[in-house]
Amino acid sequence: MAPTTPMKLIPLPPFKPDLYERAWQSIPHPTLPLLATAHQKSVTVFSLSTLSEHSTLTNGHERSVRSASWKPNLPPHKLCLVTGSFDSTAGLWRWEDEGQGGSGGLEVEITGGAKEDAEEKDWELIVVLDGHDSEIKSVAFSPSGQFLATCSRDKSVWIWEDVGASEADDEWETVAVLNEHEGDVKAVAWCPDTNRSGRGRYGSDVLASASYDDTVRIWREDGEGEWVCVAVLEGHKGTVWGIQWEPNPKNERFPRLLTWSADRTIRVWTLKEEEDEAEAPQHAWSGLGRIPNTMRRSLKEEWVCTDTLPAAHTRDIYSATWSAETGLVASVGSDGIIALYKEEASDVNGKTSTATEDEAAAELDGDVHMSNGHPENKLQTSRQWNLLSTMPNAHGPYEINHITWCKRYDAGCPPDKKGVEEMLVTTGDDGIVRPWQIS
Amino acid sequence: MDKDNANPTILNVSELPTRQNKKKATAPGKDADLDLDIVLRKPEYLSAPFCDLSWASDDTDSDDGFTIEPIDEQEIYDLISTISDPEHPLSLGQLAVVNLPDIHITPSPSLPADPNTLTQVLVKITPTITHCSLATVIGLGIRVRLEQALPPNYRVDVMIKEGTHSQDDQVNKQLADKERVAAALENATLKGVLDKMLETCV
Repeated sequence: MAPTTPMKLIPLPPFKPDLYERAWQSIPHPTLPLLATAHQKSVTVFSLSTLSEHSTLTNGHERSVRSASWKPNLPPHKLCLVTGSFDSTAGLWRWEDEGQGGSGGLEVEITGGAKEDAEEKDWELIVVLDGHDSEIKSVAFSPSGQFLATCSRDKSVWIWEDVGASEADDEWETVAVLNEHEGDVKAVAWCPDTNRSGRGRYGSDVLASASYDDTVRIWREDGEGEWVCVAVLEGHKGTVWGIQWEPNPKNERFPRLLTWSADRTIRVWTLKEEEDEAEAPQHAWSGLGRIPNTMRRSLKEEWVCTDTLPAAHTRDIYSATWSAETGLVASVGSDGIIALYKEEASDVNGKTSTATEDEAAAELDGDVHMSNGHPENKLQTSRQWNLLSTMPNAHGPYEINHITWCKRYDAGCPPDKKGVEEMLVTTGDDGIVRPWQIS
Repeated sequence: MDKDNANPTILNVSELPTRQNKKKATAPGKDADLDLDIVLRKPEYLSAPFCDLSWASDDTDSDDGFTIEPIDEQEIYDLISTISDPEHPLSLGQLAVVNLPDIHITPSPSLPADPNTLTQVLVKITPTITHCSLATVIGLGIRVRLEQALPPNYRVDVMIKEGTHSQDDQVNKQLADKERVAAALENATLKGVLDKMLETCV
């Protein structure tokens, strides 16, 4: 169980200005050097190159903004952010650089730090998505940007679809209201569009939701516009504060799911994939002969808890983040600790070996049987999560609400590593948004 | 509107636990110096959350942060026993909703304190009757009061004392949920009730 590579977290200077009061979350833009921090009734967008304020979104919400999501796949001179608020609405905001057609506008401006220009422009609240009965806790765009999911204390998940004729035509329709959770829905997350090809009769978009009812649910569109719950993940013994899909799954495996909870554990869940996706399994369905193809598949998916990360926290875990680049996971919570974990190959004695992640993943691809999250197959034991490092009091005595991996563009990063090297960003009750270098 | 509990048991203020000597143990005493203790206390009710004024302004003769007097159970009791009950014109101390033996501080305040070390304050409350619908509001009032008055390294956990309330698990879970607490404080009606309860804490 000995951690192998020692890793250190080195604090970098915090983003400026200090927000002074509780900040909930900081979301990096999918491609541009921008970070959106939700705090109080507004959002402050920071530049990742200057580590200072780029712009703010204000006067759109009557109560705190709890979460934000960047709309993906837009040209670099257009920004679109959705905010989810305790006032029970979600706001869709746009920021457009109209003046500089063709010159690469925004990207040049934000990387060059031309702040005077930026301040003349403004975010505009375009659409208010109204429908939830109480606080919206989380908002998330699907990988294509076609769908937006919102969730609330009202126990529901809403899926909204962009039905506008063009990007500028903001028309959003409610396509589903999912009411199966028995408590507040704390977070929603869409599966990345890697290795998640349409399974059987379902569409390719997959949504996961985490709840106060201690469960996680997985939702898919059935091909006829109906969204159905295909799995309920039970195991956590407290509110599930959040979820993240495996950002970069290996060997064509379906992305795994990372969940974290008030029960102070972080779990990894794996879909039990059928042996052959293309054909109906002979043994199970042979007796059903002539029924239409769409009826043959089970509507349900089987998800099993395949790992619990080493214990590192003493109170609620509010946030965790899984790197697409390195596969490292970091977590934070009420105890003010940052914990860093790595999935490593090891021999049967539990010692970490030199096998690569890919080899470990290949082993997992074998026909592995599991029960109650405990692997029965010997091969499975050759992969385990190790705790690499912990950083106590990362925000002094304050709670830490959020952590995310994010690319570096700041002056302290070697020029050839800009946009490549990763850092962690934590967001705390002290209103500090702090980057951390990993070495 | 009918009160949930029209005839609660009421303790005399002079019977409530108090600090007889600032340095001594906190056994409940009969000397009626509670009022004096309250008058001498600096106002710790702060409007901005997470303001760390109370430890900076605590009565210490030195600038050295290590000589700050530890916060003990009696001090926690003093902070919350004066909160008013939302339906009776009485304090939570008088109604025995909060009781000194049900306040626990970990690690113990007698150990040397580092301002970054997390200190857990666990308060177990005893609602006046088992189905008291206001248990959540009372718990919320206690959590808010302590979060506003205590330094930021304190983590406040408010729970219903085992066996005293019919839905204690549900109430405990709500009171432990930071996000729900934050949202509740932005609800004007609820905030009004809480402000009224905390008005008597000076």
